[in-house]
Amino acid sequence: MSRIGVFVCHCGSNIAGTVDISQVLEASKDLPNVVLAADNKYTCSDQGQQAIKDAIVEHGLDRIVIGCCSPRMHELTFRKMLTQTDLNPYMLEIANIREQCSWVHKDKEVGTPKAIGLMKMAVAKVDRDRPLFTMNIPVNKRALIIGGGIAGMQAALDIADAGYPVTIVETTPSLGGKMVMLDKTFPTMDCSACICTPKMADVGSHPNITMKTLSEVEKIGGYVGNFEVTIRERAKYIDYDKCTGCGLCETKCPVKVESEFDQGMGMRKAIYKPFAQAVPAKPTIDAAHCRYLNEGKCKVCSKVCPLGCINYEDQDKVSTEVYGAIIVAMGYKLINWADIYAEYGGGRYSDVITGLQFERLVNASGPTEGHIIRPSDGAEPKSVVIVKCVGSRDPEKGRSYCSRACCMYGAKHAHQYLDKVPGGKCYVFYMDVRTPGKGYDEFYMNTQHDGAQYLRGRVSKIYEQNGKLICKGEDTLSGQQVTVEADMVVLETAMVPADDADRIGAMLGITRDKDLWLSEAHPKLRPVETNSGGVYLAGTCQGPKDIPDTVAQASAAAMKVAILFSKDELESNAMIASSDPAICNGCGACVAICPYQAITLEEVEMRENSMKVIRPISKVNPGLCQGCGACTVACRPGAMDLRGFTDEQIMREVEALCQW
Amino acid sequence: MSDIQTTLRTRAAELLSSGEVVEVIGWTAGRFDNQTTPAFITKAEDAESLVFNEYCVNTTSKFSLMERGLGKVAVCVRGCDSRGINRMITDNQLKREEVHLIGIPCTGMKDRKTGEELLKCRECSYRNPVVYDELIGESVTEPELNRFDAVEKLEAMDQAERAAFFDSVYERCIRCYACREVCPVCTCKSCFVDQLAAGWQGKRSNVAENKFYGLTRVFHVGDRCVECGECQRACPMDLPLMLLNRKMIKDLDLLFEAGEAGLDAEGTNPLGTYDVNDVEEFM
Repeated sequence: MSRIGVFVCHCGSNIAGTVDISQVLEASKDLPNVVLAADNKYTCSDQGQQAIKDAIVEHGLDRIVIGCCSPRMHELTFRKMLTQTDLNPYMLEIANIREQCSWVHKDKEVGTPKAIGLMKMAVAKVDRDRPLFTMNIPVNKRALIIGGGIAGMQAALDIADAGYPVTIVETTPSLGGKMVMLDKTFPTMDCSACICTPKMADVGSHPNITMKTLSEVEKIGGYVGNFEVTIRERAKYIDYDKCTGCGLCETKCPVKVESEFDQGMGMRKAIYKPFAQAVPAKPTIDAAHCRYLNEGKCKVCSKVCPLGCINYEDQDKVSTEVYGAIIVAMGYKLINWADIYAEYGGGRYSDVITGLQFERLVNASGPTEGHIIRPSDGAEPKSVVIVKCVGSRDPEKGRSYCSRACCMYGAKHAHQYLDKVPGGKCYVFYMDVRTPGKGYDEFYMNTQHDGAQYLRGRVSKIYEQNGKLICKGEDTLSGQQVTVEADMVVLETAMVPADDADRIGAMLGITRDKDLWLSEAHPKLRPVETNSGGVYLAGTCQGPKDIPDTVAQASAAAMKVAILFSKDELESNAMIASSDPAICNGCGACVAICPYQAITLEEVEMRENSMKVIRPISKVNPGLCQGCGACTVACRPGAMDLRGFTDEQIMREVEALCQW
Repeated sequence: MSDIQTTLRTRAAELLSSGEVVEVIGWTAGRFDNQTTPAFITKAEDAESLVFNEYCVNTTSKFSLMERGLGKVAVCVRGCDSRGINRMITDNQLKREEVHLIGIPCTGMKDRKTGEELLKCRECSYRNPVVYDELIGESVTEPELNRFDAVEKLEAMDQAERAAFFDSVYERCIRCYACREVCPVCTCKSCFVDQLAAGWQGKRSNVAENKFYGLTRVFHVGDRCVECGECQRACPMDLPLMLLNRKMIKDLDLLFEAGEAGLDAEGTNPLGTYDVNDVEEFM
């Protein structure tokens, strides 16, 4: 026989206004095993908590029900209170009679019976509560950062400066990501490379940072504090210990390939460093294009290399290491506009380029040394049309969301064009101009002042006529159809999740939102955490954002890692799933449904039909399990149960409600 | 069929005497001429008692689970049996190397009482085994049929008619659980209906409790059902149990392209997996 204490909170008039507390007390005191029913004006206050603690001693209570606000609000408060008593902190049930009752009803006629029903359920459930205990999980104080763009670099530097070792994994040959491809940054117009490359150098030389470029995360196992990560470092064909980055090999390599870094606006060699300030400042061989690796003849780079660094036999290196926390900072890619916007030429016109291609054109260290020229004939464009929201805010063809940064870099492109091409004409087709940020609107106003003509409407068609690109669109402010002749068109295309986000997200158990961005744990209150413990998000992998927001989020994620690493051990969640080996038949339904990869099958020898058989049995990893309960409903025989929300407790709650 | 029976006896004796298997699961003569019963042959000299005729109504797949731990067991499998074996492998109940499958193409079995072809065989579209180690007899052509005929009739009913129909079905159910016992995908060690402390299933026998059992069973097995029809054959009250299973199969195929279960051992549980492309018309 349990001894249940019931406490009903008035919450001032929040609850008492629409629930008759005296009736709730009257109904509660006669419920099975209830030895005390009391009320309080504010149960969460010091006095309210003291009253409960006194009642526990005075009436010998062994479990309590509190009718109050949502458990999200004060369940932890009351659990902490119970640690100051002889009771286990989990011998507590909260009946949410505020958010789910008094706040949604207008009068006591409705609110009171519902509150009584909720109390009955909680009393029925608390009767089956069992003491629960947490476990201590050791923390490996090493962080892994996936992605070497500005977000990944910022997070890596912050964690490394806090004194913890960091490994940064980047798929391309150099750190820097998209930011280092940009020319200038709005609204201050400081040179992107000038503020980004020092960070790259810092990451490259920091004693606490291990950098793995041309590398991929292949496998992630384990849980918070103890992730086991397998990283494949692809063959670079160069001995980085010997190479000084002199660049002689690059000058002599006979193979030319379109440069990824220059977005196809320039060429690179098959042995190459993507750009001058690359970190590491050493070349790699592009195995897909190297003449020797494909045709067996050439070896020019090996002949000219003064230090004998070239190794055509180089192999991928695969290593597995343990990390305590992971920050995903894998960034974005631009939407493939050519596939979906046939009306803009679908990629047929070489003078219709993306914003990122324009960045390379206008960049002093870019393929044209900063001269804005048409890719088709090298002439200076006398008129340029900038089209915003290409793929953004277009639920029919692209994505429904706003990509956030395009209004500003669209204005920046207009400003840069008008600055570099005196007498040039610039037209910007826009849906809205969104400039929330310090100095952003002023920048936009200046661009208009420079002479950029803003036309409110979408471009409906772009076609070529007599060497000109004819852009047809609507100016919705004047209500007129407009036709603009342009020499070049810049499409400000939408940001979309990176190619690998799906695979990495699945390995880490990170959910993805409707647009397939990686989801944070709470859109407002937990913006850098994910639903997987020890896994954090930084930058545009979580959603479109500009550089300041990316850097801020990266530092926030780094802080979360530093907080995690400030402890030697973590307390695991007590309310986790567990499998009953006597009932589990090893079908694996729980393994398939678990969003956190917390369940594995282990082969166990058992006796069945008087014979020894080997049968797989599911096993829950207490460090990984987040207590979501998906496995408990997938389990047909009910072998899987959630501590604190057992099947039996839920059945008792349903029964209590049905008797109501 | 007598050819198959002769070869089966020879092969069973060979397999047992060579020690390749410790037991052969098949059928043997029953009390009457038009009846057989499952057989578990462990000695080569007993292989002569194996029978294969048009009254081998029991599916064999589930029996292989009872024999786990003995050693490698040979199982006679037709289309229905072989799909059950595949599904049990998918469900981790059996390992492929634990069984030697003697495939037997089937032309349909007869109901002992009426002499007509069994309903489960009339609705069968996999008469040849889908997996085997050796095949006895010639492959037969698969019949062309719409196995959702009855489901479409059910779907055509209005709500009141359908409710009345299910009432009439489940008021006859005696909850003997024969359907569960013979089902090759009902492989839980402890069925939800037997867990009295948890109280999932009430003990009373009435339409509501019987329906609860029937519907829960469909959710537990429907996404993995291999359509052997054994539940329906085993039902002493002749309830149309495959009707609801097939409704589930049809809907899952429509919604999640679930396909047919047990055609290989790689299957999934359409109801237990999530894909971002899943239809979510209720959201």
